[in-house]
Amino acid sequence: MTKQIELSGVNKYYGAFHALKNIDLSIDKGSFVALVGPSGCGKSTLLRSLAGLESISTGDLKIAGELMNNVPPRKRDIAMVFQSYALYPHMTVEQNLTYSLRIRGVAKAEARKAAEEVAATTGLSQLLGRYPRELSGGQRQRVAMSRAIIRHPKAFLFDEPLSNLDAALRVHMRKEIRTLHDRLGATSVYVTHDQIEAMTMADHVVVMKDGVIEQQGAPLELYDKPANKFVAGFIGSPAMNFVPAVVGEDGRSLAVDVGEKQTIVLDRQLQPGRKVTAGLRPEHLHFVEPGQGVFRLPVGIVESTGSATYITTSTVAEVTIVETSRRPVRTGDVIDVSIRPADVHVFDGETGLRV
Amino acid sequence: MSDTGRNRLMLAIALVMAAIYLFPLYWMYITALKSGSEMFATPPSFWPSQPQWATYAFVWESRGMGRYLWNSLIIAFGSVTLITVLGVGCAYVLARYRNVWVDVGLFLILMLQVLPASLMITPIFVGFSQLGMLNYPRLAVIIAIAAKSMPFFVVLVRATFMAVPQELEEAALVDGNSRVGAFFNIVLPLARNGILVSAILIFMQAFGEFVYSKSIIQAVELQPASVGLNSFMGPNTNEWNNIMAYATIYVTPILAIFVLLQRRIVSGLTSGAIK
Repeated sequence: MTKQIELSGVNKYYGAFHALKNIDLSIDKGSFVALVGPSGCGKSTLLRSLAGLESISTGDLKIAGELMNNVPPRKRDIAMVFQSYALYPHMTVEQNLTYSLRIRGVAKAEARKAAEEVAATTGLSQLLGRYPRELSGGQRQRVAMSRAIIRHPKAFLFDEPLSNLDAALRVHMRKEIRTLHDRLGATSVYVTHDQIEAMTMADHVVVMKDGVIEQQGAPLELYDKPANKFVAGFIGSPAMNFVPAVVGEDGRSLAVDVGEKQTIVLDRQLQPGRKVTAGLRPEHLHFVEPGQGVFRLPVGIVESTGSATYITTSTVAEVTIVETSRRPVRTGDVIDVSIRPADVHVFDGETGLRV
Repeated sequence: MSDTGRNRLMLAIALVMAAIYLFPLYWMYITALKSGSEMFATPPSFWPSQPQWATYAFVWESRGMGRYLWNSLIIAFGSVTLITVLGVGCAYVLARYRNVWVDVGLFLILMLQVLPASLMITPIFVGFSQLGMLNYPRLAVIIAIAAKSMPFFVVLVRATFMAVPQELEEAALVDGNSRVGAFFNIVLPLARNGILVSAILIFMQAFGEFVYSKSIIQAVELQPASVGLNSFMGPNTNEWNNIMAYATIYVTPILAIFVLLQRRIVSGLTSGAIK
């Protein structure tokens, strides 16, 4: 697989503020990469550095094998879709689409033809003569996408493009963007703070925090084997439960502290007496018949979404359970809960790294 | 007091205030139409009994108003052009960069605005005379007005530029334009309204400018209408109807422009608030 974008040892400083710390990232041609993390984690800065809107302080940035550190945005041959769409308000949809072509001196008729072709694929054919202010949010989003597509750039950069849309449209556009990506065989870098968007759309997810890449890999790899507590808590919804625990004397069990000490069995051998944090995904905890569980937990809050029931316990380290059966449960009940040993994640009590 | 009652009271106060503000204008218009004896009648009449329309033609001819207004136009257009060409770039830079030096620059610019023309005229006069600028008196006035009004223009246009989202410029950069290209293609068209409105305000200021013109321009045939109006009045003046006719001819075009464009001017001044 050829590399379309390569970053090695990239650092970015704003004065004394260290925004990107030693970023190493390589993106295969044709892949869809999501940069995800809480706000202020540096994901947008990284994207803007790829676009050339920010310069990097140290390190190398290559696009299609060429060093791009000091190349201005217009010579990088990349396209970007902005959160606000950034459509030119004084131009019609067609003029918006053809702007980049006109700058490059493409003949008028040819540019027009290109605009019509792209508009046909994105369902904008009827809207070419309109101004951005006359379009709905979803239509504007499509114009922004089309404006990027028309140039056949080396890479597409998306900066939270769906965050201004309502929930239903967001789910729809998610699929549409991914379909478009596959059809064009494009290379895409997609910034989002929504881990579900990252998980559902991307081939490769990069989780960032405070300017550092915490973990990168395939979506399920991040879900199944989070490298540390941060990634574990960030990926998955509702978030993973973290409970303080101590490894038992046999090294194959955990004494977890949920109000009272309860013991769960492990499928691996750990150093006896070691202080750790147990990570239990809500969807891996199952509500079982009395006497069959590994935990007994008092029920605090019960919320039902219809498809699933979210049970939050009244223990000190709160534990959330997602239960899909319709078994009746009320606040104040004490329920039995089980988990498969393979589903128990263990993180070091101090460093938070996966054990 | 009920809401309607309060609104009515407020409206009444507003009307009274407006009447007070506009009274001189009204007085100018009717005095211009009065005859010599009616002007000094006691009690004064509030509507001319026999409007003297001929006064206008007489004043226009006898005072050579065509030449005065022409000079006013040259000075006003010259100042607006100079200010717009220099001020737009300045305002753009002040809108896009944020650091200590920009703040210092902005502070100094606002300081300039505080200094009154009557204070500035002495050093300007001395300076211009040293440079030989007084040989080109209208150009000298244009430069002086530009220096005086630039801060006002820059501050207004800066606000307009700040209302243009930076993402649009970035989109243009990524789309393949240079910074200069993005400025002319994207930013300038979007800021056009604000720039036009500011230019019109500057034009109206420059069209009525008095202090610099009076001090710098000695030759009568180069003086603008404001100075011409002033020279019309002396210690023993009694031809108030002629003076008012002069004033009417002078200000009515500007008033008309303002009334016609006032909606756009007001919306241009507040353009940052609405998208």
